[in-house]
This record gives sequence, C-alpha cells and structure tokens, in this order.
Amino acid sequence: MKIGIVCSRVRVEEKLLIAALEERNADCDRIDPRELHIDLAGDQLSEYEAVIVRCLSHTRAYYITRWLESVGVPAISPHETVRVCGDKLLTSAALQEAGVPNPRTKLALTPDAALEAIEEMGYPVVLKPLTGSWGRLLARVNDRDAAEALLEHKKTLGGYQHSVVYIQEYIEKPQRDIRSFVVGDETICAIYRRSDHWITNTARGGEISNCPVTPEIDTLSRTTAKCVGGGFIAIDILEAPDGRLLVSEANHTPEFRDCIDPTGVDIPAKVVDYALKIATENGD
Amino acid sequence: MKKIGVLCSRVRIEEKLILQRLREREVAFEKIDVRKVVFDLAATDWSQYSAILIRCLSQTNALYAARALELQGVTTVNSARVIETCGDKILTTLALNEHDIPNPKTFVAFDKESALAAASALDYPAVIKPPVGSWGRLMAKANDSEAAEAVIEHKLSMDGDTPLYIQAYIDKPGRDIRSLVVGDETVYAVYRHAEHWITNTARGGQTTSLAVTPEIDQLSRAAAEAVGGGIVSVDLMEDTDGRLLVNEINNTPEFHGAMESTDVDIAGKMVDYVLRISE
Repeated sequence: MKIGIVCSRVRVEEKLLIAALEERNADCDRIDPRELHIDLAGDQLSEYEAVIVRCLSHTRAYYITRWLESVGVPAISPHETVRVCGDKLLTSAALQEAGVPNPRTKLALTPDAALEAIEEMGYPVVLKPLTGSWGRLLARVNDRDAAEALLEHKKTLGGYQHSVVYIQEYIEKPQRDIRSFVVGDETICAIYRRSDHWITNTARGGEISNCPVTPEIDTLSRTTAKCVGGGFIAIDILEAPDGRLLVSEANHTPEFRDCIDPTGVDIPAKVVDYALKIATENGD
Repeated sequence: MKKIGVLCSRVRIEEKLILQRLREREVAFEKIDVRKVVFDLAATDWSQYSAILIRCLSQTNALYAARALELQGVTTVNSARVIETCGDKILTTLALNEHDIPNPKTFVAFDKESALAAASALDYPAVIKPPVGSWGRLMAKANDSEAAEAVIEHKLSMDGDTPLYIQAYIDKPGRDIRSLVVGDETVYAVYRHAEHWITNTARGGQTTSLAVTPEIDQLSRAAAEAVGGGIVSVDLMEDTDGRLLVNEINNTPEFHGAMESTDVDIAGKMVDYVLRISE
C-alpha cells in the first residue's frame, strides 16, 4: 500500500501524519509540489493508492487534487472539497443547498452595488475575500464610512476576486466560536476558540479548549462535511444570540497541532486510518 | 410568465444583436446590468427568469453570477461548471484529455526549475500561458531556455502562487480555426489569419470563411461536450501533419469578426438555443 503526502513545507501537522503512517507500516512518500511537472496527458502519481494533500497554497491543492481525480487516485481531501471550501461563495451555496444554517450572505460585483447591499443588510456586516485563510482581510464594518473606505481599498487591490464583494451579516457571538473536525463520516472532536477579538482564528491568537461534541454539533458538522465534498475538514461554527448554531466556514487543509491535547483525540491517527481505509477501498 | 435575462456589462455588437433577436422573437426578456446586481443567497428573487444568458466581460463575474443564479434554480447559459472549466486552461486541458480529444501536449508546474524541466521535455519553442485570462494576454512563446526562464521569473514575481502552464508550440500555417457550438450543433467555422503566432482577432487577426467539415464538426462538438456543453467557441489548430488539435474553448464567445465571413445568424442561433432550454 503506497500513500503519498503532498506538502511543500513539513510542519508539525505533516510530521505527525507521517509518523502515524510509519507506525502503521504504510509505505509513505512525501511529494513536494515544487518538484512536480505534471504531464496533463500522463499518469503521474497513479502509483499511489491514496494521497493526503497538505499544501499551504490553496491553488496548488486545487490543481493537484484535480489532477489526482484525473488519474483516479483518491485525495484527502478530494478535489470537490478543496474547490468548495477554498471559495466562500461556493461554500455558502453548498450550505444553502443542503439546508445547513449559515449567516445571511449577499454577493455584489461592484463597489456601488455592494454599498447598497450592505446598507440594506444593516450594520455591522462582515466583508470577506472569496479566497484566503487564516482570517486575513476579514473586515467587520460598523458604519457607512468604513464600508466606503474598505470597498475602495478592495477595488484598488485589484486581482480577479477582489472585484466580487462577499457580504455577510455579523453574528454577535460569545467571544468564542466552535471548530469541529470531521474525518469521513465521523465528527472526531471539537474545540472552542476564545478571543477578545471578533476574529477567533487561532492563527490570530485565539485560545483553545475542548468543546464537547453534542448531537447538534455532530449532525451539523457531518451534514456540512458531506455537502462540501467530504474528506478531512474543519468546520467553523458560530453561536448566535438566539442559541442557533450557524456554520460560517469549512477548511480543507486544517491545522490541528494545538487541538490534540485539549480534546484528547489523536487527530493524525484518525486521518491516517481514514486515508488507509480509502486506499484499501481503492486497491480492491 | 417567466422571462429570459441577458446579463451583461458593456453592450457590444454581440449583445445588441442578441437583444434584437429576442425582441424579434416576441418573448419577454430583460437586459440586466451585472454591475448593479446583488445576489442574496437565501432569497428567490430571481425566480421570474426561466433562463439567463450570461454575456459579461469579466470571467469572474460570469462565474459567480452563474453559481448564485443556479442556487435559485435559474438555468444559466453557460452553466457555472462550463464557465469554470473554460475559464481555466488547466481544467480545460484535463477535460479534453479525459475525453480523448487531441490537444497540444501540456505540463503544469509550480516552481521555476520544474517548469523549465517541463519546457525542455517539450523541447523549444514552448508556449507559456496564464491558466486564467483571455484575449491572448500574457501568452509567451519561448524559443529557448533563457527566454523561458525570464518569462517564468516574471510570472512568478507577478504572482508567486500561479501555476505554470507550459504547452508544446504548434507550428500552424499562419492561421487557426474558430468554430462555434450551440447546443449540439456546430453553427459556423472561420479561419483566423495572422502573421503573429497569436491569431486572436482581439489582436488583429483577420477572418475568412471555412466550411464546417465533418472533422471540424465532430471535434468541435466533442470539445464542447467535454467542458459541459452550452454555447462555446472552440479554437482549433492545424499541426504540420494536418491534424486538428483543440487549443482553447471560450464560454462567452465574441463573434463580430466571424460575422464578416459567415452568413449564419449567430445571435439568432444563440437566442433560439436559450429559448429551447428555458422551456
């Protein structure tokens, strides 16, 4: 059984995954995306039974998983997941279609239309770049002055995707959010991320503690994982003032190093066992 | 009574003709300015449209508008999937290969050294293209490794995260072929002539008429089907052996150039297709 793990940098997460693979005596290769030149009519990487994709770059993960699909090698997470989770509009659309509660969201294609949509939604709102992670360029907009300034900055930033404005209602959450981890069809654990800042991302210093996986969190997480494409996913859940749980985002290449101790769950072992199961099914 | 929408930004000759044909067909329709729209993802406020023809210039706007409209159950031409695939040369090439449609040999790499290895594997000249982009912009023909290295460095310094798309150069006879597929019909084909290796009409290529041969017909329809169908134009190249290769597929075809060399009512064909699938 040959498992590949695609990553350019071997961080703690990748080390843990490789160690878990070795413990299980799996034949494991690290694949550096920088060293690949893929013949789009060829069969590169087809010798693997499964590939765990851990690229920091969404773009690389997107194309490599699409390539793996083309040569019939299952990727963890699969291309559809990378595609949907990597784009906030696609995520919102998938959640909406699956009936998963999520914050009210609008999309505008010019700053003028965006301003109108923001005013109609009412302040505060959150503006998010369609692609990107680690809480970068998220903006909480409390009034029209801020909206005007940010829309002008977005326009000046250029790039294809900054012209599309993704506007979301602000959820007044209790200084924390929930992040759950789903592997295949199982919610393996969840954490609270606490922060005085409205962005509770741990990459921005959010504090982590265990969050018991209630039946509600479990159902919500598994439904979300399924509708975005499955695999190994982290799901960000907001607690609304009325007690509702709303899914805000899903991440296709989650970091998890700081979540193992608080939850007591061996996350890399769960991921690797899942990868081996997928690989076995593929081999049969 | 549901109506047809035409989503556009600038109204070019193509859009004028499309709107005119809709008027002549005496159906309810509306021109929608993409710059003014807001999509509320939880609403159903677009359900008065039975189908929307997407004709905006920006590929990004086209893609997100299509996805937001599909969420509300509105049929779009083209579909979000077709727009996504055609708008990205890597996705297009993979779709063509998965359907065994002849196309130039292509590599993808994420790093300078690997990209150079791909270019030498293809042998020079090699063509380096941005995976996303149109009108022949930022396409580079590298005749040797020095040129390839410089071009790749420039691309990576513009966007360090860009995938590098490296393709075998096809020595075509001073022209390429553009065909238009509407549904399952190849409605026309034209030659585009140019001294320059980029034969795009947006860069001054001249068009002349060409009969739709069975080979062009079959290849064009197969290519359209590979990316998901709808209304697409297909760029074909003749290699030195006379073989036809599919180069690119465009999901918002311009056709003012082709109108000079074909009598086909292109806008009429498009409108009739939209009316057909809106039923």
